[in-house]
Amino acid sequence: MLVKVKSITTRGIETLGVDVEVNVSSRGIPGLEIVGLPDKSIDESKDRVKTAFQNCGLEFPNKKITINLAPADVHKEGSCYDLPIAVGLICAVSGLKVPESSLFFGELSFDGSLRHTRGSFLLSIYAKENGYEKVFVPVQCVREAASIKNVKVFGVENLSLLMKHLNGENLLREYCGDLGESEDLDYYKKFDEFEIGNVIGQEQIKRALEICAAGGHNLIMVGPPGAGKTMLAKSLVSILPPLTEQESIEVTKIYSLVGKIPPGCGLLQQRPFRSPHHTISYAGMIGGGSNPSPGEITLAHRGILFMDEFSEYTRLVLEALRQPLECGKVTVSRSKGSVDFPSRFVLVAASNPCPCGYFGDTAHTCTCSDRKIKNYQSKLSGPVLDRIDLHINVLPVEKSRLLSDYSQETQNIEKVKDGSREMRIRVLEAREIQKERFRNEKVYTNAEMSNTHVSRYCKLDSPSKNLLVQAVEKFGLSTRAYFKLIKVARTLSDLDKKPNIEIQHVAEAIQYRSRLFL
Amino acid sequence: MFEAADWVRFLKMDGREKECEEVGCVRIEDENYPCLLKEIPDPPKHLYYKGNFCEEIFENCVAVVGSRKMSLYGKKVVEHLFSTANKSMTIVSGFMSGVDAEAHSQALHFGMKTIAVMPCGINYVHPEDQVGLYEKIIKQGGLILSEFESDFKPKLWTYPKRNRIVAGLSKVTVVVEASANSGSLITARLANSYGRKVFVVPGSIFSDLSNGKIQINNEFAKTIGSGFQINEFLGLRCTTKSGNTDFDDQENPILILLKNEPMTINELSEVLSTDISELSMELTLLSLDGLVTEQGGKFYAC
Repeated sequence: MLVKVKSITTRGIETLGVDVEVNVSSRGIPGLEIVGLPDKSIDESKDRVKTAFQNCGLEFPNKKITINLAPADVHKEGSCYDLPIAVGLICAVSGLKVPESSLFFGELSFDGSLRHTRGSFLLSIYAKENGYEKVFVPVQCVREAASIKNVKVFGVENLSLLMKHLNGENLLREYCGDLGESEDLDYYKKFDEFEIGNVIGQEQIKRALEICAAGGHNLIMVGPPGAGKTMLAKSLVSILPPLTEQESIEVTKIYSLVGKIPPGCGLLQQRPFRSPHHTISYAGMIGGGSNPSPGEITLAHRGILFMDEFSEYTRLVLEALRQPLECGKVTVSRSKGSVDFPSRFVLVAASNPCPCGYFGDTAHTCTCSDRKIKNYQSKLSGPVLDRIDLHINVLPVEKSRLLSDYSQETQNIEKVKDGSREMRIRVLEAREIQKERFRNEKVYTNAEMSNTHVSRYCKLDSPSKNLLVQAVEKFGLSTRAYFKLIKVARTLSDLDKKPNIEIQHVAEAIQYRSRLFL
Repeated sequence: MFEAADWVRFLKMDGREKECEEVGCVRIEDENYPCLLKEIPDPPKHLYYKGNFCEEIFENCVAVVGSRKMSLYGKKVVEHLFSTANKSMTIVSGFMSGVDAEAHSQALHFGMKTIAVMPCGINYVHPEDQVGLYEKIIKQGGLILSEFESDFKPKLWTYPKRNRIVAGLSKVTVVVEASANSGSLITARLANSYGRKVFVVPGSIFSDLSNGKIQINNEFAKTIGSGFQINEFLGLRCTTKSGNTDFDDQENPILILLKNEPMTINELSEVLSTDISELSMELTLLSLDGLVTEQGGKFYAC
């Protein structure tokens, strides 16, 4: 008897339908065999399914069973085929019908219950795109799978319940569409510890962070240790706007794929903030493996990639950032195929000016040799730096000011005017303007604009243009830097709520680009 | 002992004629050997040179030395000294990065003669990344000097050796910037021991690059504020200061503050109680006009 059950497999973040064909034949030596390029985790599925059947009191057929995962020429991996195989066997033995237009997905435990399985969000998307009505997933993944509207999601607790459901006796609970966002009201509450007002002084970086959050511009901070670079970069999360719906789907897809959505969570709201350590390998950053899996830049998609100690990363890692920074995606090609991963992230980098850290600091003496400094800074220069819009030199706040300012701040309410709250309101307003502007485009922020967008949406008057040309000549900027300046100016005018870019916006934008780190 | 002239002959035999065409050699007994250098206790027995070796170039030599880690202030000092100095003097320095390199290139910029004394063999460029400057010195009538032959690599002991030539050639030595253990202090002390004049340019007492200057200032050196004092000492005519001194933007509060002391944008914003965004704009306009520059997060008035 032959039964076909539908499921999916993933390649990169693309999904592909898989037919799990279960054939139970009364002829031949009893046994279970799986074909169709399965990997080790699928092969072990045999034992999980067999034991789960016994522990649920179901009869495991003592016949020759052959299972085919079609299409047979695509490599498949993961434990998600346990459920489709089990359903196929139940139907083949008992003669029950496999529910119409349904997808099955999930890992079995020995006791017959189901476990959280990565990728159920991708399953729902596949179901919606290909007109399947129902999906059966482990009960822990219901929220994740039900984030997609118009797909009926059944949370399977264990095999016996599922069998009864197929029998038409005890219906599994059905979820459809949004499960309601409970945390929406207090979205920013959890960022209280990252309050930007906690950092004393450093108004210029705060302004730069605001621009960075509003327009999605890349930022680099260079300065001696203890200037507050890391602390400020981390406080960026408290002013970032939440993900829009479309963005959220993109991000949830990636996180579902790598199994980083905690059980019971649905669509992600918070922008990712990734800060990989500087010893990260090239494959860890970009993505890799013989069966390519996403790297840090993909996990930071639509969010922030914070690279502390930027110059300490290996050159290979830094140079590999070039292409993703420019086009927002990365193609990872390996022996088992080539995969595109999205990587539209905002780079926030922090670095010391030299190996000892104190070059240019007035309070400390730099102990590095000339050549060491040159080597160190050569990592900062060139093509990667050219792709960063905002360059800031950070100097530590003087210690005497720390004390006086702190006591003042507690009394002086006026000082609190530029906390995270006020900044995020401005950022959200600027994002609204951008959303309206790019209604009919495929971009979301000013930083993503292509050169055609720039000529369409960023009209400059002639004094501004002259100023730009002057700056390009004076600071020896590239064409890319020229366009980046215009985009930053566009964000500044959005923050200012002005319909057109004015000369003061251009002038301020140049200020963030005129740095010579030496 | 292997004689200098032998080496030139040796190169010719070796088919490396091009190298020895460029390189000249002068011995201590020769007439055109720089006479000031002869006066020091241990003059080099022979000098190799490339470029314009003539009597006039050794006439009014001024050594300008300083730290490899030059600050923006040091750069401005060199520029200011040379713009006020008589252009007939020759600037001698050690061709290191930092103040030395700045001295050579500013000298060429102001149309002065310059001598670079190398710590390595005459055919070796050290540091390598200054090849451009090296060639410029030769092309624009400057002189490269070394007591070491061929492509001898610099060693720790060759730097002080080189310094004695820098000091020995010059009537005056000017220390632009020097930290407490800077090599330029060696040059200054040698110059003093040869009975030559040593000048220092004052710096901020908070800067590490002032420590060495304070030391020698207490011992023997004299403080100067412009090239005029050098002219006076050498008995040369003063040139009028170039550039316009009448600033039409006296009213700009940013410039007034920055002329007093360099400040970060955050400090400026606090003192002037101006918004960062507005201040950024003003500073951009000022720097495009060449009135302020930024280095390491601080803004300086030009």
